[in-house]
Amino acid sequence: MSRTPSTPRWRRAAAVCVAALLSVGTLSLGTARPSAAEVAGENVKVALTSDIDTFNPFLAILATSTGILRFQYEPLVAWGTDNEPVPGLASEWSATPDATTWTFTIPEDRLWSDGQPITAEDVVWTFEQIQQNEALQAANGGLVENVEAITAPDPQTVEIQLASPQASNPGAEVPVVPKHVWQDVDPAEYANDTDTVGSGPFTIASYTSGQSVELKANPHFWRGAPKVPGLTYVVYRNTDAAVQGLRTGEIDVLSGLTPAQFQSLEGQPGITTSSGAGRRYTAMAINPGALDKDGNPLGDGHPALQDPVLRTAIFTAIDKNQLLETVLQGLGEPGKTEMPTVYPMYHGFAPGTEEVTFDPAAANAMLDEAGYERGPDGIRLDEDGEPLRFRLMGRNSDPTHQQMADFIQPWLADIGIDVEVSMVTPNQVNDDSTLGRYDLYFTGWGIGPDPDFQLSINTCASRPAADGSGATSENNWCSPEFDELYAAQHAELDPQRRAELVKEAFSVLYEASVNNPIWYADTLEAYRSDRFTGFTKQPEETGVITGQNGYWGLYTAEPVATAEGGAAAGGEPGGLPAGAWVGIAAAVVVVGALAVYLVSRRRGAADERE
Amino acid sequence: MGSAPRSGRAAVAAQRRARAAEVWREFAATRSGLVGLVLLAAVFAVALLAPVLVPLETLDVTRLTAASNEPPSAAHLLGTDPSGRDVLGMLVWGARVSLLVGFAATAVSMVIGTLVGMAAGHFTGLTQAVIMRVVDFFLVVPSLVLAIVLSSVLSRGLWTIVIAIGVTSWASTARVVRSQTLSIEARPYIERARALGGGDGHILGRHVLPAVLPLVLANTTLTVGSAVIAESTLSFLGLGDPTQFSWGSMLKSALDTGAATAGFWWFVLPPGLAIVVVVLCFTLVGRALESVLNPTLRGR
Amino acid sequence: MSVTETAAALEEERPRGSTLPRYLALKGGGALVSLAMVVVLGFFSFRVLPGDPAINMTRGRRVSAEEVERLRAEMGLDDPLPLQFLSYLGDLFRGDLGVSYVYRREVTELIAERLAPTLLLTGTAALISVVLGLWLGQKSAWRRGSLFDKTQTGLALVFWSVPTFWLGLILLLVFAGGLGWFPTGGMVTPGTDPTGLARVLDVAHHLVLPVLTMVAVVYAQYLMVMRASVLEEMTSDYLTTARAKGLREDLVRTRHAVPNALLPTVTLIFLTIGGLVGGAVTVETVFSWPGLGYLTFQGLSAPDLPLLQGTFVVFSSIVIVMNFVAELVYRVLDPRLKAS
Repeated sequence: MSRTPSTPRWRRAAAVCVAALLSVGTLSLGTARPSAAEVAGENVKVALTSDIDTFNPFLAILATSTGILRFQYEPLVAWGTDNEPVPGLASEWSATPDATTWTFTIPEDRLWSDGQPITAEDVVWTFEQIQQNEALQAANGGLVENVEAITAPDPQTVEIQLASPQASNPGAEVPVVPKHVWQDVDPAEYANDTDTVGSGPFTIASYTSGQSVELKANPHFWRGAPKVPGLTYVVYRNTDAAVQGLRTGEIDVLSGLTPAQFQSLEGQPGITTSSGAGRRYTAMAINPGALDKDGNPLGDGHPALQDPVLRTAIFTAIDKNQLLETVLQGLGEPGKTEMPTVYPMYHGFAPGTEEVTFDPAAANAMLDEAGYERGPDGIRLDEDGEPLRFRLMGRNSDPTHQQMADFIQPWLADIGIDVEVSMVTPNQVNDDSTLGRYDLYFTGWGIGPDPDFQLSINTCASRPAADGSGATSENNWCSPEFDELYAAQHAELDPQRRAELVKEAFSVLYEASVNNPIWYADTLEAYRSDRFTGFTKQPEETGVITGQNGYWGLYTAEPVATAEGGAAAGGEPGGLPAGAWVGIAAAVVVVGALAVYLVSRRRGAADERE
Repeated sequence: MGSAPRSGRAAVAAQRRARAAEVWREFAATRSGLVGLVLLAAVFAVALLAPVLVPLETLDVTRLTAASNEPPSAAHLLGTDPSGRDVLGMLVWGARVSLLVGFAATAVSMVIGTLVGMAAGHFTGLTQAVIMRVVDFFLVVPSLVLAIVLSSVLSRGLWTIVIAIGVTSWASTARVVRSQTLSIEARPYIERARALGGGDGHILGRHVLPAVLPLVLANTTLTVGSAVIAESTLSFLGLGDPTQFSWGSMLKSALDTGAATAGFWWFVLPPGLAIVVVVLCFTLVGRALESVLNPTLRGR
Repeated sequence: MSVTETAAALEEERPRGSTLPRYLALKGGGALVSLAMVVVLGFFSFRVLPGDPAINMTRGRRVSAEEVERLRAEMGLDDPLPLQFLSYLGDLFRGDLGVSYVYRREVTELIAERLAPTLLLTGTAALISVVLGLWLGQKSAWRRGSLFDKTQTGLALVFWSVPTFWLGLILLLVFAGGLGWFPTGGMVTPGTDPTGLARVLDVAHHLVLPVLTMVAVVYAQYLMVMRASVLEEMTSDYLTTARAKGLREDLVRTRHAVPNALLPTVTLIFLTIGGLVGGAVTVETVFSWPGLGYLTFQGLSAPDLPLLQGTFVVFSSIVIVMNFVAELVYRVLDPRLKAS
C-alpha cells in the first residue's frame, strides 16, 4: 500500500478511519459489565418503550409520563395494591352523606423530599392553580371540574366543596405539587425534569430527552425510603432490542413483551417472567347508527347495522376463546363487560344479563329468522336488497388487530356477511370513529380503578357535535336507561350499592351489542431476578409490576443481597439457537458467493468482448 | 403510432428491431444480467402461479391445523407464522404483492419522470426554469420523510404505498431523461423535423420518446429494486398495508410479534432474503442493460 | 444512484460559460427557491394529515368540550388557514419554529437536541462509506476482472440490496444480544455520566453497530461510481501519454487517474449525503438512537404540526446546503474551469 512515498492523503485517511473503527471494536470487547459487588448500590433499570411528552404534572398526558409522575407525587388518596383507596398525602377522609363536601386530614409527619412539611396549603394551591389558570388544565382539568371551592381550615385539613354530588373520591389522581417550589416559577413553562421535589417514593433527578430518565429515592417518603438508590428509565425504540438488553443485563425490568418474546424468556437463568392481568379491554365495536349530540345521524355506517339482531348475530359468530388462544397465545382473559378482571368489584355482568357466546349455527338461524336472505353469491341481503358488506377498521400500529381480522373475516363469511378489512393510522381511527365513518372497528380503553369516566363517555351527553368537536364518546350511542344508571352510581356513596349500579350500567351497554369486549390482554413483563426482588404486584396475586395505578411495584424492589447472581448478569447468549446463527451466516455467504459468481461471469464476458 | 408514410415507418421499425436484437445479443453476453433475468423470470412465474401453487384457502386462519410458530418440517418447509399459516405459502403470495408494488410504483415514477424530463429538456426559457425548479425540489426533499408523510396522509391500502414511493422517486429519472433529451435534440434530424413544421408534440412523441425509452427501461429495472426495498421500509415503520401478504408486511409482522427475539428464524430470514435476492437480480439486470444501452458506459 | 443518473446529475452541475460570481448567484438563487418551496409545502402538507391534534391529544382523558376548544385556540388552529400560514412565516423569519404540541417545548430546542446525534451517526457513516467506497472502487477498477474486483463489486451489490432495518436487526441480535460485544441501544450508557475520553469511547462503543449498518447499505454507490470513473480515466489519452513518458504505473495511478476520477465522485458524495440524513430514521429506530428521524416519526402521531414543519424544513435545508456545496466543490475542483 505504502510502497511509494506519495501515498495520497485520502488513502492515509482511509487507513486511519479503518484502524479507528477496528480499535473501537476491540475496545468494546474489553468493556467491563457491572460486577456483582456493585449491584447492591445500583438503580433499577427499567426499559422505556413509549414516548415521554413532559414531566410537568399539569401538562403531562402520555401514559409513560404520568406513570413516572406517580412515583414523584402522592395524590391526597392513592390506590392500594388491590386498587382500593388508601392513604396518600391524607391519612383519612370523609364525605358528607349528600356526597358534596369531602374532608381530608394530612398528618404532621408528611414531608417533601427536601424536608419541608407538606401542608393543606400545598393542596389548595395546586387545585386552585388548575382551576384558575387555563393553561394548567391540560392534564387534570377534568378532575377538578366539579370542585366548587377548596379550603384549608388549618394546615392539616383540606375541605373540598363539590358543585354536585360525587361518589368517586375527588382527592384521587390529582398530583399535588410543592407550593414553595412552584410558586416561584411559571407553572405552565416549568419543565420539572431536574432535581425535582416530590412526595412519592422517588423523585426525578435528571432527564435526557430521547435517552434516559433518572429518579432518586426520596429519604422522606412517609411509607419509608425505598431499598434501592433510584430508578433509571432507559429508552428503547423496539422491544426486540429491549429483550436483548434484558438478556445482557443492560436493563432489569421490561414490560410490554409480545407472547412469543415472553415465552422465549420463560425459564431463562436469572430472569423471571410475569404475566399480569391487564387494565385494558380490547373490543370490536359496531356502528349502531351514530348520532351527534342533537340526535342527527352522523357518518356513513351501514344502515342494516341499526338492527340489534344483526349486531348480536355478528358477535355470536366470533369465537373469543380462539382469538385469545391464537393471537395472545392464551395470555389474557376473555372479555365480558368493559371492566377488566383486575377490578373484581366492577367486573362481570349484572344478574339476568344474557351473554353472547360463540355459535355460528345460532347466528345463521337468527339472521334467517330476521329475514336476511342469502343472495346468489352467498352474501345475505338487507331489507332494501343491499348486500351485507361491511368495512372492518383497525389500527396499523397494533399487530393483533390484523391478526384478529384474519379470523373474523372468514367467520362472518360463514354467516353470509362480507367484510372488507383496512388497517389505518391511529389518528385515522380516532377521526373516523368519532364521526361515525365505520361499520365495524377494533377499539379498546385502559380503565382506571374508578369506573365513572368510562361510563361517562357512553352517556348521551358525551356525543360529539356534527363536526366531531366536543366531548369524547365511545360509540356515539345513547340510551336513557344507561344514563339513569350512570347518574345513580355517580352519587352513590355506598360502595356495594354503587358496584351493583356500575355492573348494571355496563351490562346495559353490553346487551345493546354495540361494543363487545373480546379480551383483557395480560401485561407481559420480565425482570432480572438475579439482581432485584420484592416487586409488589397490583393486584398482589395476579397483577402487574410496572404501569400500575400507583408505585408499589418498583417502590418495594430490593437488591438481591447475595453475590451469587454476579456472573449471571453478563451476556447470556440467548434468542436464536447456535444452529440458526450458522444458518444466517451460511445464507449470507451463499448470496454473496452467488453475486460474486454472477459479477465475475459478467466481467469475464466483458473481457472476452474487448 | 399515427400515420407516417408507410415505407418510412417500416424502415424505422426494421431498424429498431435490428437494434433490439443487437441489444439482446449484448445483454445475453453479460452473464450476470442474464442470470438475474432468469431468476427474476422464475420469481415472476411463482408470483403469477401463486393462486395455483398455494390456494388462498390454505392460508385461511380459521381452517388451519398447524400450531403457531412451528419450526420447519416436511409439511411446512419454512414453518408457520404466529397464526399457524405456512410461511412458504405466504412468501409465494408475498412475491406477488411485493413485485406488484415494485412495478406499479416504478411505473408511476417512470411516467412522471419521463414526461417531466422530456419537457425540461425540450422547452426553454421560463417553462424550463419552472420545471427544473420542481425537479430540483423533489430531489432535495428527503424522499423517505416525504413518503412517510404521504402514506400517512393517504392512509389506505396498497395504492397509497405505490403513490408514496412513485411520487418521491421520479426526480432522478427526470434528470437522466432531460440530459438525454438535450443530446438528442441537438442532432441534425431534429432540426430538419422542426424545419418541416413539426410541433412540440410531434418532436417529443416521434423522435425524443423512442430515443429515451431504452434508457428509461434500464432505469426502470433499477428503480423496481429500490421500490421493493422502500415498500419493506414503509412497512417496518408501520405505514404499510398489513391486510396484504407482502415481504415487507411479513417482516413487519415477524418483528411485531417478537419472532426475531423468540428465535423463529424461519419467519424472520426468508422474507428478508427474498427481498435481497430479487433486488439484487433487478440491480444486475439494470446494470447490464445500462451498460449495453448507454454508449458512454460501453466497455466499462 | 446508478452510473447513468450520476452522469446526468453531473451534467446538470456543469456550468456553461459563466463567471464565478454569476454562477454562484444563479445556483444560490435556485437553492433559495427550493427552500421557499420547502417552507410552503412543509406548512400545507402536514395540515392534510388526518386527525385534529386537539382532539387526538385529549382523547381518552376527562376533558370538557370547552377545554378542547381552548386547546385548539392555544394551538392557533382556530384561525383561518391563510392567517396561520402568515404567522408561521413570520415566526420562521425570526428563527422561531413554534412550540411542540406534545413535548410542550420550543421546536428549535428539541431539534437542536436531536440534530447532533443524527449528524454524528450519519456523518461517521458517510465518512467511512466514502473512504471505503472510493478506496475499494479505485482498486477494483485498477484490477478489473481480478478476484478482488469480483468479490468487492459482488459484495457491495449484495449489501446494497438489503433492507436497512432488517440488516440492523440481525446485527443487533448477533453482536449485541447474542455475543454481547456492543450495547443493545442508545448513545451513552444510562446512569453513567462519563466525561472526556471515557465519554468518547462510550459513545463510540454505542456507535459501532448503527454505523456498520448504514455503511454496509450505502458504500456500494460510492464504490460503483468511483470504479466507473477510474475506468473512464484509464482509457483516456493523457494516461497513455504519461505511460509513454515512462511514468511508473502506480504513479500514473496516484498522480493522474485517481485525482481526476475523484472529481465526479466527490460531487456525487455531497449530492447523496443529504439523503442519508433523512434515511437514518430506520437505523435510529432499530438502535434506539436519540436522533431527529425518529422524532419526526413520533410527531406524526399527534400530529404535532410545529414539530413536523420544523424537522421537515431542517431536513430539507441540510440537503439543499449539501447540493449547493456539491456545486461549489465541482466548480473549485474542475481543472478545466480553473484553467479558463
